[in-house]
Amino acid sequence: MLDEARTGHAAAIDTSIPALEMVGIGKRFPGVLALENVDLRLEPGKVHALMGENGAGKSTLIKILAGVYEKDVGTIRIAGREVEIRTPRDALSQGIKVVFQEIALIPEFTVAENIFLEDYPTSGAGNIRWRKIRDDAAALFDRIGFKVNPDARTGDLPVSQQQMVEIARALASEARIVVMDEPTSSLTPTEVEMLFSVIRRLTSLGIAILYVSHKLDEIFEIADTVTVLRDGRHISTQPKTAHTSDTLIRDMIGRQIGDLFPRSRGAGTGDVVVGVSGLSTAKLADIAFEARAGEVLGVFGLMGAGRTELAKALVGYDPIRTGTITIGGSPLCPHDTRTAVSLGIGLLTEDRKTEGLMLELPVMHNMSLASLGRFANMSFLDEKRERSAVQEFVDRFRVKTPSLEQHIKNLSGGNQQKVLLARWLMRGLKVIVVDEPTRGIDVGAKSEIFALIDRLAAEGLAVIMMTSEMPELLGLSDRIMVMAEGRITATMGRDEATQEKILNAAIA
Amino acid sequence: MTETASSVAPPSRLRALTGNNEIVLIVILAVLCVLISIGAPQFYSVENVVAILRQCALVLIVASGMTMLLIAAEVDLSVGASLAFSGVVAMDVTNKTNSVLLGGLAGIAFGASVGLFNGLVVTRLRVNSLIATIATMMILQGGIYLYTREAVQNRHSIRLFTDLSTGYVGPVPVPVIIAALVFIACYVVLRHTMVGRYIYAVGANEKAARLSGLRSERLKLGVFVFTGMLVGLAGLLLASLMNTGQPTAGRGFELQVIAAVILGGTSLMGGRGTLIGTLLAVLVLKVIDNGIIILRWNQDLQMIVPGLVIIGATWLDLVRRKSDAR
Repeated sequence: MLDEARTGHAAAIDTSIPALEMVGIGKRFPGVLALENVDLRLEPGKVHALMGENGAGKSTLIKILAGVYEKDVGTIRIAGREVEIRTPRDALSQGIKVVFQEIALIPEFTVAENIFLEDYPTSGAGNIRWRKIRDDAAALFDRIGFKVNPDARTGDLPVSQQQMVEIARALASEARIVVMDEPTSSLTPTEVEMLFSVIRRLTSLGIAILYVSHKLDEIFEIADTVTVLRDGRHISTQPKTAHTSDTLIRDMIGRQIGDLFPRSRGAGTGDVVVGVSGLSTAKLADIAFEARAGEVLGVFGLMGAGRTELAKALVGYDPIRTGTITIGGSPLCPHDTRTAVSLGIGLLTEDRKTEGLMLELPVMHNMSLASLGRFANMSFLDEKRERSAVQEFVDRFRVKTPSLEQHIKNLSGGNQQKVLLARWLMRGLKVIVVDEPTRGIDVGAKSEIFALIDRLAAEGLAVIMMTSEMPELLGLSDRIMVMAEGRITATMGRDEATQEKILNAAIA
Repeated sequence: MTETASSVAPPSRLRALTGNNEIVLIVILAVLCVLISIGAPQFYSVENVVAILRQCALVLIVASGMTMLLIAAEVDLSVGASLAFSGVVAMDVTNKTNSVLLGGLAGIAFGASVGLFNGLVVTRLRVNSLIATIATMMILQGGIYLYTREAVQNRHSIRLFTDLSTGYVGPVPVPVIIAALVFIACYVVLRHTMVGRYIYAVGANEKAARLSGLRSERLKLGVFVFTGMLVGLAGLLLASLMNTGQPTAGRGFELQVIAAVILGGTSLMGGRGTLIGTLLAVLVLKVIDNGIIILRWNQDLQMIVPGLVIIGATWLDLVRRKSDAR
């Protein structure tokens, strides 16, 4: 069977037969039907986008294709021939390459060693041919236009480049079908462009691409056909040209979203609640700005511009070298998150899993963490009061969770983000710093998060929003501050801001 | 998978109270009791049950602190060496002052200061606690011989000192009462106080805890000191039990304690664990010990069987969590 697949693959790809047909796929997990009667059909040389909210069944479908899960019912045909995919090895031998969102590279190895990890070439004596690995990697990078040093230690590369390496790895051996799961989630705009040109090169070779993403603009740029799943069911498959953003969103969430960026507040000019002057840290130089109550201050910057570093310095997490930060008029002791929180500034981190959530703990404990003092008498907790306060936020923010005891790791990204926002709102803040608030969150939940941010500002908080997403920057901010290489390069009002002006300042 | 888990029914009251790991332990405990009593009917005699509980006391006292430490994602391997040293200190100070109170306080203070040392090395110098406390263990094992070459004998003959370990309140031995009080106090702290919540939070995700305004280092330091105090208390009881301060006592004690905590379902990665699990695990290990003795099996099995039980129970836990993850 293996040989057959190889020889089958060696022949030129026949573009008249679908590269992949999945028919009537069903998968049940204990207590839930994850996929029901789902069809998917990939044509050779085409990019097929798979869309849907978190929980729609996209990842289950991909994992069936990758051999991580086994389907319960349904048929899979590769190039017209029926196949069974039971293990990841089966999938590989059928020429299916899956690039998962999580990076699975060995940080201690060089880039080239990671690229060929699955199958090192050996000499007759069984010695690994390191030289060939290195040369092949360099040749591969040339072919697809990557600028990564194949000898670099993988762990030393920034995350965006590691993700590119992960993609290159899928292309190292011949593939018939390449599946990409949210491939751009940590790429810079330039790298996204590079990825798209790689994708175009692949399709010109007759390879079929299954592209999973939440980002509408990407879909409209790269996809030929779009399939939408919702609640484990197939909703629609249409050529991209038949869709608009509105119809796509409607298919995904099953209802119309009014306005993605609601605006319930006027142009608020409250008191200055954040004052920063002369702030320098290891990664920041001479930062000065103010933020007022009731406004959303958008901070834009490309990867490495210092957005996250600024966010962490503001809340006393990272040490600062020089400069002062005042919150509501009181100076902030550097490197002390506790006084920062008690002065009323909190950070919603970019990376929920490593810096926000206590994955193993229940929803309730996650949400009430920063305000336990309110429910405690001599450190003894009044769980009844705590529970009702948490329940109130769960209802108000429409957090989808079966119970307050549910481990938070079992919630979707959007619901996790709402719990983390509630952690701060329960505490009562003057300033909230949100760093990439919608990373990894699906469209439906995104609009809810935007509405929450808008409401926070309307209720008189100063919101400082770090983002690399142009639409949310332009849609939500009252003022925009652009950063590049640890400095502020431009500040502009909502009305004067344009995409060009912002990008120019970001590259400066 | 988010899509699967979010629709799973909320856990029932019983399960929320005990968790699956505890149920496994209860079953193991019940099976052990039945099997042993078939071979040796005297297993259920009052004397034997009291003996088992007495055996549990020292381990449970220290394991209560160790559970907190592991939940906070730290560990202390110096508890065995510190146990012996605080016993020696308690006996010596009692000899010199003729006061059990001062001797006891000295023992507990010594244990606490070892905890403080460990805590400072871990939180200030940022040495990994596994390495730091192995180093402390070595320092204490060598240091105790600088303090005394041989066992410190009881020269004060105060009744109260020996009563600490051999006395009874009604039918219940004093050490069992002390262990029960320690256990209940720790249980309440972990379950019902802010401090307990913070311990779980810091262990589950220290960065996130700090960003939420918790002083994670101070908290960890506190747990180290508290565990150290419990070690001092256990050292005092041990000196009383042996009626001497024995420098070589406590070898391997740290492994008994950590084995019980892990068997009880507390994660080495932090953020997960319960004291009930620890209690059950201590009982399981001590019932095995007792069974081997009263069945007159080879005593070497006292090490081998618990080893196998720990592997088996951890494996079961893994299997269960895998099926949960679906």
